[in-house]
Amino acid sequence: MAKSEMIRVRKMTKDISKEAKIICDRMLKDLEVAKRPRLQAVKCALDNSIYNSKVGYLTPGDKKVTTELNVSSVQKMARMTFLLEILLRNIEIGNVNTKREVYYLAKGLIKSSKLLRPLDFDDQNESDATIDFIGDLLEVYREELNCFANDRGGQTYSQQLVVTETMSDGTTATIDLSMLGTSPFQPKNRPQSLKLRAKKKIEFCLVVESEGTANTLVANGMTKRYNCIVMGAQGVPSNAVRAWTKSIQEQIKVPIFFFGDLDAYTIQNIYRTLKARSAASLIRNSDFSAPDVNFLGVLPEDVKKYDLDCYDVRENDGKDARSLKKAKDALKNDPFFKDKKNKKLAQTLDWLIREKKRCEQQALYSVDPRDPQICEKIIVDKIRTGRFI
Amino acid sequence: MAKSNITSSSTAEYFAKNLQQVGFSSPTKAVLTTLKEAIDNSLDACEEAGIAPNLNVVVAKVGKGSARNTDLIEVVVEDNGPGLEQADLAKVFGEYLASSKFGRGRASRGQQGIGISAATTWAQLTNAAGVQVRSKTKKMRKAIEAQVDVDIKGNKGLLKNKQVVDWDVSHGTRVSFKIDGRVQLNGDGGLLTYLEGTTLVNPHLELHYKLMENDEVHIPRVTSEVPKVPAATLPHPHTMKLGEFITHSGIYGNMTFQKFLKTSFSRVTDGTIKDFVKNGLPKELLNKNLNQIKDVNYKKAFQAIQDTPLPNPSTRSVLTVGEEALSKSILRIGEVDFFSVVTRNPKICDHKPVVIEVALARFLDRGNEEGPIQLLRFANRVPLQFDKGACAVTKAIESVNWRAYGLSQSKNSLPSGPYVFAVSVVSPFIKFKNASKETIDASDELVEEIRLAVMRAGQKLSRHIKRENKAADLERKIKHIEQFGPILVETLARITGAPESRKAKAISGLEKILGRDSRAAEKDLDEADLKLKKLKQRMHERGIGSFTGLDEDERVIEEAVEIEDGEDSQVLETTAAPSGSKKKSKVISKPLAKKKVKKTTKKKAAKVIKPSRSKIKKKSTVKKSAEKKAVRKKK
Repeated sequence: MAKSEMIRVRKMTKDISKEAKIICDRMLKDLEVAKRPRLQAVKCALDNSIYNSKVGYLTPGDKKVTTELNVSSVQKMARMTFLLEILLRNIEIGNVNTKREVYYLAKGLIKSSKLLRPLDFDDQNESDATIDFIGDLLEVYREELNCFANDRGGQTYSQQLVVTETMSDGTTATIDLSMLGTSPFQPKNRPQSLKLRAKKKIEFCLVVESEGTANTLVANGMTKRYNCIVMGAQGVPSNAVRAWTKSIQEQIKVPIFFFGDLDAYTIQNIYRTLKARSAASLIRNSDFSAPDVNFLGVLPEDVKKYDLDCYDVRENDGKDARSLKKAKDALKNDPFFKDKKNKKLAQTLDWLIREKKRCEQQALYSVDPRDPQICEKIIVDKIRTGRFI
Repeated sequence: MAKSNITSSSTAEYFAKNLQQVGFSSPTKAVLTTLKEAIDNSLDACEEAGIAPNLNVVVAKVGKGSARNTDLIEVVVEDNGPGLEQADLAKVFGEYLASSKFGRGRASRGQQGIGISAATTWAQLTNAAGVQVRSKTKKMRKAIEAQVDVDIKGNKGLLKNKQVVDWDVSHGTRVSFKIDGRVQLNGDGGLLTYLEGTTLVNPHLELHYKLMENDEVHIPRVTSEVPKVPAATLPHPHTMKLGEFITHSGIYGNMTFQKFLKTSFSRVTDGTIKDFVKNGLPKELLNKNLNQIKDVNYKKAFQAIQDTPLPNPSTRSVLTVGEEALSKSILRIGEVDFFSVVTRNPKICDHKPVVIEVALARFLDRGNEEGPIQLLRFANRVPLQFDKGACAVTKAIESVNWRAYGLSQSKNSLPSGPYVFAVSVVSPFIKFKNASKETIDASDELVEEIRLAVMRAGQKLSRHIKRENKAADLERKIKHIEQFGPILVETLARITGAPESRKAKAISGLEKILGRDSRAAEKDLDEADLKLKKLKQRMHERGIGSFTGLDEDERVIEEAVEIEDGEDSQVLETTAAPSGSKKKSKVISKPLAKKKVKKTTKKKAAKVIKPSRSKIKKKSTVKKSAEKKAVRKKK
């Protein structure tokens, strides 16, 4: 099968196979002269993250992580070269695998060979981390190593949006979302191959944290009443959801709003990841973040205005305590929350730490339990009156 | 008026009907409780008289029991105690609540005088004959022998078949119970577990025992020092209730209230009496005679006393086994790999003095990694063998995070592994949950005190475990080198398309690099060894062992290291000693010492460093790796 241009995530001049072979050759040469091979990768951590609101996402600083061969790292290096060989072969033949497929592929090879058995992974996290390490080392996206995540999240509904997908064989398919009935459009894990068009002017795009709530809004007729796009993020947005949101932002140029719970986890892990990505994936934030997304709520002022039902964050509960601590750390150290542009967001986080309260997005339904459209009405009202961050 | 149906019963009648309350709830427990009561009595009697106890114990099946599914078991306990006068025999063995210790607030084993009479009752109920006693005091030329029965209606002891016999001991008592029962030797409620526990916390005890068809066992004493059970102290006002306070004043009768406070309580002085007055004690009461004070005023005074902070009661009424004696004693109950002992300072828990002692040990010949630890609980040096779950000791151990000390543990349960945890609680006022004294009540303060003691012992133990982890780490690293190195080189060669010659060169380069790393890991392990040995040395110097189980070779290394450490001071030449015994040391002159040191260090270290890993669990792998390395070096 010929190498396909369609799966390219970005324009890149780097020859991954060549780069990888250079690194491997250098390692082998070092070993020949009994010198410890050293691998240098971008440090993907908060202390090497730079946030500039004009750029819009977290970018890497100058810090590098060096892995030198020793008794502790020999396993990591052996695993790295083992998976690298599989990925290079994929690139060579133009094959694509999901992370899970690579895990099982590797597992099969390992189990069937006595020599390779020590490499065995306890779970998929271990092989995922090794693949990410390869990406950091070569400074390429995992997707550019032809390794994708399973499709998750991003179910999209609209009466105005039309998507044209270019397939790997070069043919195209056009999907008019208004023709899908109550079924959502599921963006693929390569949203860069999707071209978007609006049949009518679209007023806004709403990304809802809970997929269920997005479904309910659509079922209650929101997309029929408003020229809008409604998308369910399904928790922490996957690469596909982020790239898809970025495509909407850039191709349709509509204001995008995120609607989720009022709690530290949502702000830090879900919203922040959608808007500016994370410190763990610094090298690929540019193509996998949607910096123009606004935080619609739930906001502390909504709690007050609509007298929303809140409940306490318990400090003696391990999960809640960790979440509070993480929020405090974020206010202190996270460049995203320290940036002036995100001052209001930081204030919201601070409010959550001080009040030790949380409020679910579904609390809006309780404002008027007799009105099934109450949630939609409040959301639209907030968008139109500018009550968002 | 109708004739009353209410009748009164004697104490003996009550216990005869409720023997399950005092440990006779099953045939198995009956044998254990009988043995336990007899031994407790013997040990208490010996200690009272300042005699190092020498006990002979025999438990044998002598026939069929009267009840279904029981055997007729004979329990014989013979001691070298002071013996009993004829007049006391019936009281001690046949009368309930006849005790020399009742309510005296001393940390003795027996407290109320119930246990041994209950054993006599059980023998009487199941075999129609009480206890056969032989006793001889120093003053007697011949011993008295008699059967003691309990007069259940009158709560009196009855002497039967009394005779004078020759007995070739200067003094002592021998009791023989024939009872219905069944013998359980091992497990939590087993006789061996009981004897083992008793041996552990009584280092001054010399014990001979023969249980059923097993061989006779002799356990020599490790100290001849007989612990002195401290005298009872005056009561502390904060430990009393109002009624007790008024009754207590009745004993003193004709004296002023001030004098009563000062002479009949501990921790009350002129200064504290002034504080009582400040807190509401009517001043005029102080000079009144006790007989003239009304109950209302007693209440006022009592309230003022309770509101005044007082120093805690004296802790002199508790006794400890001591870390040194415990260290020696623990070696008597099995082959110890390593252990740690802790004796806490006496503390006040719930207004009562208490002292906690802990011995944690890993034995080579018992337990396994998966099963829970063996827990030995003691109250006033008496093993507690039943109802473990509700005991303060169990709760305290379960509340500790043992994973931090290197032991495995499921949430809220005892840790697991081949360890024995022995925890002794000594106090003149132990709060038991039941009359059979099987469980210590888990008050918060007591649980916390026990927790602190076991944590301290756990910290000591963790050093040994850390050393083992280092050894395991070394093993892991060597394993990594052997496993991952070839894969790394193979894959690199495949990706780059390198020829075989490059691959071979890379493999030899890799071996050189990783060989350096394993040597560094070995150095780490040696440093961990050294730290541990220094700890042991300190313990030796203080006269307490936190260990011993090193083998001969390890001991030699230890010595070599110690000698190196002490080069610029006086040098000790130490000879290896068998496990558990003290090392012989002599001071030698400095120049000569240096020569010896170099020789010893080089020769012994060379001989020993590899074998010293013999304690490591997966020692064979490490050994193999070391051999492989040596072969590689030769090549």
